[in-house]
Amino acid sequence: MGRLGWVAGISIGAYGRSIGIRVNRPQVLNEIRSLLPPGWKPKSSPVVGRLYSLMVGGADPRRNLHRYHLLYSDAQRVARTMSLKEALRRLESEIDLYVAEWARRRVFVHAGVVVWKGQAIVLPGRSYSGKTTLVAALVRAGATYYSDEHAVLDSKGRVHPYAKPLSFREDVGGGPRRCAAEDLGGLVGSEPVRVGMVIMCEYRDGARWRPRLLSPGRAVLALLAHTVPARRRPSDALAVLKRVVAEARVFSSARGEAEEMADSILSLCG
Amino acid sequence: MIVPRLRKKGLLIQELRDEVLVYDLERHKAHCLNPTAALIWRHCNGRTTVSEMAALLEEELGIPADEGLVWSALEKLGRAHLLRERVTRPEGVPRQSRRELLRKLALGLAGGVLLPAVTSILAPVAASHGSCAHVGESCATLNCCTGCACVATFCIGTC
Repeated sequence: MGRLGWVAGISIGAYGRSIGIRVNRPQVLNEIRSLLPPGWKPKSSPVVGRLYSLMVGGADPRRNLHRYHLLYSDAQRVARTMSLKEALRRLESEIDLYVAEWARRRVFVHAGVVVWKGQAIVLPGRSYSGKTTLVAALVRAGATYYSDEHAVLDSKGRVHPYAKPLSFREDVGGGPRRCAAEDLGGLVGSEPVRVGMVIMCEYRDGARWRPRLLSPGRAVLALLAHTVPARRRPSDALAVLKRVVAEARVFSSARGEAEEMADSILSLCG
Repeated sequence: MIVPRLRKKGLLIQELRDEVLVYDLERHKAHCLNPTAALIWRHCNGRTTVSEMAALLEEELGIPADEGLVWSALEKLGRAHLLRERVTRPEGVPRQSRRELLRKLALGLAGGVLLPAVTSILAPVAASHGSCAHVGESCATLNCCTGCACVATFCIGTC
């Protein structure tokens, strides 16, 4: 693979990890830069912990061919597609997951996060559980945006912003629609904040909002189920989550439509 | 005389105020022991008998001393692989349902929280947190979400 004609690349540092990205078409690097984790910094060293290689395909009129776009994570091919957008989406997802799993000094929980009255509200949830929709509703109701994807926790149990644009899944078969928090009339946070509340809620059509307070032990388990490095660094994960639940109230409930829930959630904060 | 012993090898243990969190490094399972289960587990030291554990439940948690309750806890702890050896309930100690235990101990419905409980989850693999393709979406570059299968580059199913 090293002989495949890579013409451009970048090395970056993010959350204590070094990542390299190389491409055969330099023009695509600008678009890649917009997909990188928040707070990334360029690095000069070509020695990296993880190398992504994007072979941009497309039409080759000389040979009447249309080549696939290929994405590799180190030596493993992870995507083969005719759509460059899809390949870039996969690249973004791969980098996000790598950083979330391997970050130093941070524990990533798959969750949306907003801040209200100086305290963070963490909303853990899997993909397609409605996190982004709920985060957007809370931002429109006046909460400050921190993330629709990851709660980034430090050893003191505070949450740091991971403020990429919100990513709404739209029509079936279409890609995500990106939306800045400012477009929702909201502000984006910049400082670490202690967690005041965690709400385990998954959208279910017609569900009634009945928040049930979890014991600290069950709260840690509920959070661990959404913690990206749970298996790789269980000791760090448990220690951080224990700090979080020592100060935060953790509720569990199904929920209905996000716009109706936003006020109920914010009123729980008092 | 049965004197259970707790397992420590391959476990990460975090004490909370009155609950205990245990992470099993071999099975990647995490367990939360409620106060009753935690108390019994802590006394699985190879010296404390079941009847002594029952007496401790009354002394420390105010729960009527009942060996059936202790056995219920030991069976739950054994199933969670938190004991060095699984213990077998003696023939003379019948199994009781949760309702029967509550009635026998005159704890009432609210007393359910005092019955020993071990809540467990399987720690997720990191990849399960990545973006996934939903039903009808292309799975050419993203795996399908749980519940769907990738057929001819599209996710079908109920994910």
